[in-house]
Amino acid sequence: MREITLQSLPVLADGGPHEGQLVLTDGHLVAVLTQVPAEETAGGERPAGGWHLEAGFGPCSDIMSITPPVFANLEEAVEWVRVRLEAGFAPS
Amino acid sequence: MTLMTNPLILKLERRDQLSDDEKRALENAIARIRVVEADEDIVREGDRPAESSLLLDGFAARYKIVSNGRRQISALHVPGDFLDLHSFLLKTMDHGVLALTTCRIATVPHATLEKITDEFPHLTRMLWLNTLIDGAIHREWLTAMGRLSATAHMAHLICELYLRLKTVGRAEGDTIQLPITQAELGDTLGLSTVHVNRVLQELRKEGLIRFQGDALTILDWERLKKVGEFTSTYLSLQNEDR
Repeated sequence: MREITLQSLPVLADGGPHEGQLVLTDGHLVAVLTQVPAEETAGGERPAGGWHLEAGFGPCSDIMSITPPVFANLEEAVEWVRVRLEAGFAPS
Repeated sequence: MTLMTNPLILKLERRDQLSDDEKRALENAIARIRVVEADEDIVREGDRPAESSLLLDGFAARYKIVSNGRRQISALHVPGDFLDLHSFLLKTMDHGVLALTTCRIATVPHATLEKITDEFPHLTRMLWLNTLIDGAIHREWLTAMGRLSATAHMAHLICELYLRLKTVGRAEGDTIQLPITQAELGDTLGLSTVHVNRVLQELRKEGLIRFQGDALTILDWERLKKVGEFTSTYLSLQNEDR
C-alpha cells in the first residue's frame, strides 16, 4: 500500500482563505483539500460542511476523475485518494 | 382554462401572431391536466409516450444519469415549455424529465398533434420553432459549459431564466422565483455544490443579484449580462412572421 501523508497549508481558494491539507504520496502532491463551512455546502449532500477536493493531480485530476462529493472528514478524503491511486486506468 | 392562462400561447405569441383558430386548436389539444410532485418523473427514459406534456406551472428538468450515479441536467423547463413535444416523432425517450417543484402538466395526445400538423401549417411551424428554440438553448448551454468560467456560466443561466420566465409573465419587476437547490444547479452547470455556493456568493458580493428564500432579484442587469457574456439572440424573442 502506498504511503499517503498530509501537510497543513492554508489555501486562498475561491471565496477566501481556507484551512487546507496537501495530500502527498511518495513525496508527490496528488491533491489539495480545503475545509469548507456549512455555507459552502448548503443545498448539497453534506450540508454541515467538510473537506472539499480543491485540486487533484494524476489519478486524482479531472482528466481521470469527477469532483467527488464533500468528505465528512480527512480519513474519508484519504481513502478516496487511495482508491484513485490504486484504480489504474479507471476514469470515473 | 382560458386563453390567457395557457403559457404556451404566451410563449408563441411573443414570437409571432397566432390566429384565434390556432389558439383554440392549442386549447382544445389539452386532453387532461395532471399534477406531478417534486422529484417525481414526468416522463422516464425509455418510455414511449402516446401524449406530450406541456408545463403549465412549476420547474422541470431534462436529465440523464451516468454509470457513476451522477446526474446531468441538460435543460431546465419553465411554464409554457413543451417538455417532450419531440416524443411525438422520436417515439422512444432517450432521457427523463423530472419535476423539480410541484408541476401542473397539460397532456396533449400525439393523435391531436398529428391533426394539428395536418390542418394548421402555421401553427405547425410555430411548434417546430418551439423545438428549434430548445435546440438553440442546448447549443448555448454547451458553449457556456465548455468555455465559460463557473461564475460567467451561472450569470448566463440567470439571465436566460429571467428572460424565459418574463416572457410567460412569471417575473415581477426584476425578481423571479427560483425554487431550485444548489445541488440541482450543480447538476445543471456541471459544478460541485461547493462551487455553486461560491459562485452565488461572488455574484451577491459584487451586487449583481440578491436571494431572499427562493426569490432571486437581479440588481444590475447590464453587468450580469456582461459577466455572463449573454446575448438573447438564441431565444428568438422578436415578434415576426414565421
